[in-house]
Amino acid sequence: MSGVASLSRGCFAAASKATHFHNHNAKAVALPVSANCNCNSFYSFNSKGLAPPPLPITTKYSSVVKSAVTAVDSDQLSSSDPADKEQAKRYYFVVANAKFMLDEEEHFKEVLFERLRLYGERNKEQDFWLVIEPKFLDNFPNITKRLRRPAVALVSTNGPWITFMKLRLDRVLSESYEAESLEEALASNPTNIEFEKPEKWVAPYPKYEYGWWETFLPPGSKEEAKV
Amino acid sequence: MAAEMALVKPISKFTNLSPKFSNPKGGFGFSYSKFSTIRMSATSQSTTNKPSKKAAKTAIKETLLTPRFYTTDFDEMEQLFNTEINKNLNQNEFEALLQEFKTDYNQTHFVRNKEFKEAADKLQGPLRQIFVEFLERSCTAEFSGFLLYKELGRRLKKTNPVVAEIFSLMSRDEARHAGFLNKGLSDFNFALDLGFLTKARKYTFFKPKFIFYATYLSEKIGYWRYITIYRHLKENPEFQCYPIFKYFENWCQDENRHGDFFSALMKAQPQFLNDWKAKLWARFFCLSVYVTMYLNDCQRTAFYEGIGLNTKEFDMHVIIETNRTTARIFPAVLDVENPEFKRKLDRMVEINQKLLAVGETEDIPLVKNLKRIPLVAALASEILAAYLMPPIESGSVDFAEFEPQLVY
Repeated sequence: MSGVASLSRGCFAAASKATHFHNHNAKAVALPVSANCNCNSFYSFNSKGLAPPPLPITTKYSSVVKSAVTAVDSDQLSSSDPADKEQAKRYYFVVANAKFMLDEEEHFKEVLFERLRLYGERNKEQDFWLVIEPKFLDNFPNITKRLRRPAVALVSTNGPWITFMKLRLDRVLSESYEAESLEEALASNPTNIEFEKPEKWVAPYPKYEYGWWETFLPPGSKEEAKV
Repeated sequence: MAAEMALVKPISKFTNLSPKFSNPKGGFGFSYSKFSTIRMSATSQSTTNKPSKKAAKTAIKETLLTPRFYTTDFDEMEQLFNTEINKNLNQNEFEALLQEFKTDYNQTHFVRNKEFKEAADKLQGPLRQIFVEFLERSCTAEFSGFLLYKELGRRLKKTNPVVAEIFSLMSRDEARHAGFLNKGLSDFNFALDLGFLTKARKYTFFKPKFIFYATYLSEKIGYWRYITIYRHLKENPEFQCYPIFKYFENWCQDENRHGDFFSALMKAQPQFLNDWKAKLWARFFCLSVYVTMYLNDCQRTAFYEGIGLNTKEFDMHVIIETNRTTARIFPAVLDVENPEFKRKLDRMVEINQKLLAVGETEDIPLVKNLKRIPLVAALASEILAAYLMPPIESGSVDFAEFEPQLVY
């Protein structure tokens, strides 16, 4: 963790290391200020500039997690709260280069389809997406400087699940940010993804097909406040 | 547990990683007594050396049940995960895992249909025998996971309710898997008497640290075995001779998650991961698991060929993938992609076959043992040589000193 704080908008630097946010649930507005100078990655789409609760972010994944756990219930269960449009929502993500996320880690594909299947069975609204070259990365210089491009992020409003995915994938960076709408949260830069065929493919089965991830790309811009 | 932990066991026995198959929904807490078909008398002293495939059913009864049951130092486990004692225990990953396990992805997955019985009836001849053995070994391995996790869930309840609940939920999965496999056995007019097994089997003791290494590997290798079989059969449906394989894709996601949990357990106890001893143990466990699987599977090529797989290629694929996965947590792993590693495994297979052949001769036990000595020595030296091959440093990036320089 670097000790240099380069804060972007909305992030207050306070000074106590101990006050890692515990609860930045969308509903809990009053947030302890994180201060740990590693909050240079804070990002908010909050254009209204709700001043008082600066939402802190730490680059250290463990702290993200801590808060994430408490946030689950509401994030996870709230279906379509009309207030969501107004309120910023927190999005958690893991990110790595596209090759790793979409080509090499084939179990990743299985996990995503398994979850989608479950959501279908339980009529649960999808709350996780794959974003290729996400725009929000611009606000995480500490991540982007260590990231091969194109990058792919797995984004979800379910923090603990992202913690789980970090545990599973390991070779990924994890963070969170706030955004007002789904559309903003998942905005991406158009990118072409290409993978070279593996030199030697010895598995007794073919690779998952190129493009399997399209199912998980964000819905078109029309669909915003659906979360 | 997808694969039984076969460690330092006599490799000529029926011990090892068995592929798994599944059970009807809600297998949790199933009652043993409901299996009322022909009971196989599960003898605990079943140590026949040779898994003679062509032998009659009686021979199977004696040999099959060798996958072992495990027990551990529960007091030490309590200490390790006592949140009072270990204030800094990182609970985040555990809580995330708990949510994952509570989600219960496979709640409604293990439902049988009439295809099972029909397929079983069509399976005749040697393949039928092999299938029964396969189901039985798998069921026993899953059941052994159930018992261990269940007990851990019970014992850790007070000191760490989150970890305890995860263990209980994992035992739910294992019970389902074991039950589903046992139902599969009933298609062949067999049933394992699991209640009897629980009491009659000998339990092998492992210290917690070793339980972590062993179960982690066992779950992850189980995942890779199942997903490989599933994807292979999806591509080559003509070998789909029994419907249980169709359940593998979802099934093995359970195994993979179980493995993740052990990964988190080890991360919570970095002393098991960060010194030179840990590296030696990590390599030792990798080697034990890979070698045991390889030797066992090479004794059962008929099964793998029966479903259209080349046994050695299948095993090497599973070993390489498991090793890559394991490198995300173990501080050192083996260089299994070095062709020399496979050459060593193949030599072990040859020696092991000679060993088994000695067991089959008519010699008196003393002569047999004398004949075995040079072979055992040769095998031991191959194993040692494989162990001493230059390892690959590995581990979670959460611990890596070079992490800040990593590019993702």
